[in-house]
Amino acid sequence: MSITESDVKERPACTTTSLSNYRWSDPPDENKWADCVHCGMCLESCPTYELTGQEQHSPRGRVHLIKSVAEGKLQVNEQFMDPVFACLDCRACTTACPADVDVGGLIEEARGQIRQAMPLTGYKKAVSKLFLESLFPHQQRMNALGRLLKFYQKSGMQKVVRKSGLLKVMPDHLADMERILPDIKEPVRKKYKGEKVINAKGETKHEVALLTGCVMDVMFSDINEATINVLTRNGNDVVIPETQTCCGALHVHAGEREMGRNLAKQNIEAFKDAEKIIVNAAGCGCMMKEYAELFREEPEWQAKAQDFSAKVEDISKYLHDTGYEKPQAEMKTRITYHDACHLAHGQGVREEPRNLLLDIPGVKMVHMPDAERCCGSAGIYNLTNPEMAGEVLKSKMKNVPEEVEMISMGNPGCMLQMAMGVQKYGRNQKVVHTVQLLDWAYQKEDELRGERDGIKRSQNK
Amino acid sequence: MALKEVKTNDKHIRNLANIVGGARSILYHKEDLLAYDCDGFTIHKHLPKAVVFPKDTQEVSKLVKYCSDNHLPFLARGAGTGLSGGAIPVNGEVIISLVRMKRLLHVDFENRRAMVEPGFVNLKLTNSISDKGYYYAPDPSSQYCCTIGGNVAENAGGAHCLKYGVTTNHILGLEVVLPNGKIIEIGKNGIPDSPGYDLLGLITGSEGTLGIVTKITVRILKNPEAKQTVLAYFDNVSDGSRAVSDIISAGIVPAALEMMDKTAIEAVEAAAFPVGHPRDIEALLLIEVDGISAGINEQISQILHVCENRNVREVKVAKDESERARWWANRKTGFGAMGAISPDYLVQDGVIPRSRLPEVLSRINKISEESGLRIANIFHAGDGNLHPLVLFDARIPGQTEKALAAGSACLQVCADVGGTITGEHGVGIEKREEMRFVFTDEEIKAQTDIREVFNPDNLLNAGKLFPSPGRCAEIKKEMKEAAL
Ligand SMILES: Cc1cc2nc3c(=O)[nH]c(=O)nc-3n(C[C@H](O)[C@H](O)[C@H](O)COP(=O)(O)OP(=O)(O)OC[C@H]3O[C@@H](n4cnc5c(N)ncnc54)[C@H](O)[C@@H]3O)c2cc1C
Ligand code: SF4
Ligand code: SF4
Repeated sequence: MSITESDVKERPACTTTSLSNYRWSDPPDENKWADCVHCGMCLESCPTYELTGQEQHSPRGRVHLIKSVAEGKLQVNEQFMDPVFACLDCRACTTACPADVDVGGLIEEARGQIRQAMPLTGYKKAVSKLFLESLFPHQQRMNALGRLLKFYQKSGMQKVVRKSGLLKVMPDHLADMERILPDIKEPVRKKYKGEKVINAKGETKHEVALLTGCVMDVMFSDINEATINVLTRNGNDVVIPETQTCCGALHVHAGEREMGRNLAKQNIEAFKDAEKIIVNAAGCGCMMKEYAELFREEPEWQAKAQDFSAKVEDISKYLHDTGYEKPQAEMKTRITYHDACHLAHGQGVREEPRNLLLDIPGVKMVHMPDAERCCGSAGIYNLTNPEMAGEVLKSKMKNVPEEVEMISMGNPGCMLQMAMGVQKYGRNQKVVHTVQLLDWAYQKEDELRGERDGIKRSQNK
Repeated sequence: MALKEVKTNDKHIRNLANIVGGARSILYHKEDLLAYDCDGFTIHKHLPKAVVFPKDTQEVSKLVKYCSDNHLPFLARGAGTGLSGGAIPVNGEVIISLVRMKRLLHVDFENRRAMVEPGFVNLKLTNSISDKGYYYAPDPSSQYCCTIGGNVAENAGGAHCLKYGVTTNHILGLEVVLPNGKIIEIGKNGIPDSPGYDLLGLITGSEGTLGIVTKITVRILKNPEAKQTVLAYFDNVSDGSRAVSDIISAGIVPAALEMMDKTAIEAVEAAAFPVGHPRDIEALLLIEVDGISAGINEQISQILHVCENRNVREVKVAKDESERARWWANRKTGFGAMGAISPDYLVQDGVIPRSRLPEVLSRINKISEESGLRIANIFHAGDGNLHPLVLFDARIPGQTEKALAAGSACLQVCADVGGTITGEHGVGIEKREEMRFVFTDEEIKAQTDIREVFNPDNLLNAGKLFPSPGRCAEIKKEMKEAAL
């Protein structure tokens, strides 16, 4: 395409050396799009292309537009923002692409530029500030929010609200979310505060550090609890570094890369003594494995980030690699497994969690077609793009087999989204984290053993 | 997501939007249109006037009629994976995208046929019927995402077309919207060989210049009872190419017989689906035989024997389905894999008599040396369908032109040895001039006369398929502008 006169006029005089319309530091990386040969092999993997059929909403289209801005053919404006922000960040295209184009990285870098070119205003700014700046990075405030939610549930207010019809006046997606609020329990970071190490049961084989996560520890502290149980049962001493913080994934997805960098630095420091960093939230794990990407312009931190990332491991992969005790008790349940995008596409972890589940006696695994398809959660996408997220969820739910009792997965965001799907489409599956199932199997085994021992003891009397 | 309202002073855009039901089904902002400025052939780029997304044949017909009545150039687009620029809007066309017409309408196992809408993706057909033991044979490497409508337009081939034939051998019926908006049905009820002219054959492979295909009835096949796949590594290209001829001469008709050279192997091994091929071999063959179980093993041992006679370094049979699948994924993503070793590539598509393979490959090698550009070869060796991939970097001034010249020289070689300039990717805008390598002016005129009948105003996908002096000048000008 030729460059029009208006393009030339709009271009500021200071950029005579480059045609690029990216005017801030940390712009999309030319080497990343240079890998793209425009073959289109990624099209069908992309949920937003599947729904719209429009190429600006496809990986190939997004890469092409991002490149076009650098070539001076496009401006960073509202119209460019639409396809870039409608991306789910699901990384399915990364799996599909033969040339290994890092579409996700390009999208996030482009979002960084957009946020600087067009800072948020009004309501959106307030919401973003509230969540990203004032809430997620602050443990105390998250805990307070947890207490508030707990109060909301325990006090009977939840019942009142649900009866009152107040939900009807909330925007649809918020009302949907309210309906699936999990039971709020005590965060593990609070519970184990002051304990230097949570000791392995029996002989210590390894020492690991646990990322408790910001949302995870408030909404799903029982999953953190289960993770600690499973780790200690398998010979791991667990430490929970005090100064750790939110992983920054949501910030980076939202284009707030500077905030992301600050959080990354804090975590790199917090975990600097750890040998292994165990994560049970795929989204956080994926982000933490990609910290180096944030520091392209700070080589010193980039090196630190690389060392840090090499130590990050998803819980299921860690158990698979280091070995774990096979549970003995029968669970007798039919389950299906959903591949969280940031586990399957982001970290290449697919078989490990499935094998873990299959190792539990009595678990029958039913195949979910297109298990690797995004559920539409994608960080806070379901808050920012509710319409597209809803459509993606709809097609996901169609693939959940009718006959299963549970849907297992490795990411809290997906769990909320899938729970919403179950609720919305009148299904009756329980949504669980893989590590919870393993923990339950261990617990059941202990109970049975306890009973058996009890019987033995009473017989011996 | 897309704006809910169409806001523009252009009355054509507003009217087109009304036909397809509003803002969600039309794109007209420059930012969105840029995603449509080329297809899998990236050397020419041009913005369309608009992109519209009809949901059924009626809407296609109305769109076409509107364009025709108002003298707006238009063209059809599927997944945009075409490699010869067939879907590039060189005249600022209105693009009619068929991707939302993607239903599988009907499967008739008894009569072994299926009816699909044009936007239905090739591989999805096999995936939808494989549990019943059936499949759709034409398997272009782009089958993960290209549409069957696009396959009909390009008469697409694939690895398994050696034994089973290309798209045209599998089309039983078509519904077509003609350039005046009228809807016709060819091959009624999916019964081929109807009396009169062979319109099915004419439309298939016409590269979207005669009409827009809106329904397709295809033949489906029963899965072969047995299948075996062999991988053979050679230390020199001519041994590999001779083995290809020997296999066919031995009377074996492999389902597929594919070849990759050293540069191609370097790319696929550096990309997303490596299988661990040795990097120092000069050529590999991927050979598949299928059919009834009896006799398969014998064919395999014959193939192994041939390879050994031709000094194969290593040859092995796939242990199981998963190994076979990995070999194929590695092969089928070969073009895209070029991205791992080069920023841009231009793929050519010549066909030659199989026996001339060693000679042609060495001449291509020479073209590579002379142009200073690397050329990788991944191709359907069994039917002599070459795919030289010219690797270049469009950011370096002059390289694009060099690549085009090298590509054209490869086609000249194919024509010289009695072959032709395209096996399956079509002529598009890329090989218009090269049509002169194989057709006289009279022969070309006979074909453009046929186009006149269907497409008298030449509003539908003009400037494709045939060399036309006027147009050529225009394209050259465009290239100059683009290079600026
Ligand atoms: C990585 C890669 C590998 C490939 N491998 C092969 C291969 O092995 N064999 C092979 O044959 N090709 C191959 N191709 C080329 C390409 O995929 C095929 O030509 C395919 O048939 C194009 O389909 P599409 O849906 O992408 O069509 P598009 O690219 O969108 O369109 C191609 C042409 O068809 C016309 N068209 C599209 N839909 C219609 C319709 N409904 N009615 C009328 N005209 C229409 C368009 O106007 C255009 O001229 C490959 C391409 C890539 C990128
Ligand atoms: S991102 Fe990868 S798969 Fe998609 S068009 Fe580019 S090279 Fe092809
Ligand atoms: S990350 Fe997901 S939504 Fe975004 S372009 Fe890739 S496949 Fe599409």
